Amino acid sequence: MSLHGWFIALARSPLGHAMQTSRWGFAVVEMVHLLGLAILGGSVLIVDLRLLGVILKDESAVAIGRGVSRLLIGSLIVMVLSGIALLSEEAGKCYYSPAFRCKMALLAAAVVFYFTLHRQALLRAQSEKPTLWPRIAAAVSLLLWLGVGVAGRAIGLL
Amino acid sequence: MPLLQHLCEMLYRSSFGTMLRESNNAFSVIESVHVLSITLLVGTIAVLDLRILGLILRPVTVSSLARSVLPLSWSGFAVSVTSGFLLFWAEAAKLYANPSFRAKLALLALAGINALVFHTTVFRRAQEWETFQLCPWRARVTAVASLTLWSGVIIAGRAIAYF
Repeated sequence: MSLHGWFIALARSPLGHAMQTSRWGFAVVEMVHLLGLAILGGSVLIVDLRLLGVILKDESAVAIGRGVSRLLIGSLIVMVLSGIALLSEEAGKCYYSPAFRCKMALLAAAVVFYFTLHRQALLRAQSEKPTLWPRIAAAVSLLLWLGVGVAGRAIGLL
Repeated sequence: MPLLQHLCEMLYRSSFGTMLRESNNAFSVIESVHVLSITLLVGTIAVLDLRILGLILRPVTVSSLARSVLPLSWSGFAVSVTSGFLLFWAEAAKLYANPSFRAKLALLALAGINALVFHTTVFRRAQEWETFQLCPWRARVTAVASLTLWSGVIIAGRAIAYF
């Protein structure tokens, strides 16, 4: 099935129907999406500000990263699932939305970055001196996630 | 008309309020800043609350985490309140009677009181208890209350548009 076909199928699925016809469905799912956003944002801020050497400087970077990883991944899953539900309400429109496409691209980049280069940077930050690479990784991470958030807002506004 | 309602009407009808409300981009940008600021405000508070509940970041002491997190939360609060006030200014007359908006303000006040109580009582002696496996029950109760109240603020905030 083509990508477009997948979007149409989502809109026509039972989830899609429920979201399109329910009076409060969209609102409730969006609230869940926002709560997930708060938690995801908080976890990202804690680990990236540590990598930048702004907070918790006396703590091990790896320990901080590990300490919030379940929260970060958990809230990310909540956002993806609620996001799919929100998408099912107007999948056709989102498919053609430049803001939506941008958001998905940035999301993919942020997630891949988190599990690869970001993880590496955390291990590097373990060693004695604050080096350049962990800070760059933190800055890239923050920018990517911020981009996801801004693009997400743009979906509703453009 | 009650004084408070009159003030809301005045803000609403002011040239600044009207400009914000009718602007193409200004209102949307301010609203986006407001929504994204929940990460800085609620997200960081949530991390601290979850630590108090012993669910995350066990290797970090509560007072050490609080020291790092609270300046971030305060910054987030400053951004939220500023952007929130501007949004309020633009829609003041309509928000006066909005039950969700009123609920949001009430929950916000309760969240503030909860934080104040925590900081002036149980947190004062954090050095004593933070080495224990489990934080004192009063601290855990405040943490749960904090998570609940802030979630309520976000939910009520989103529901404003539906009333």
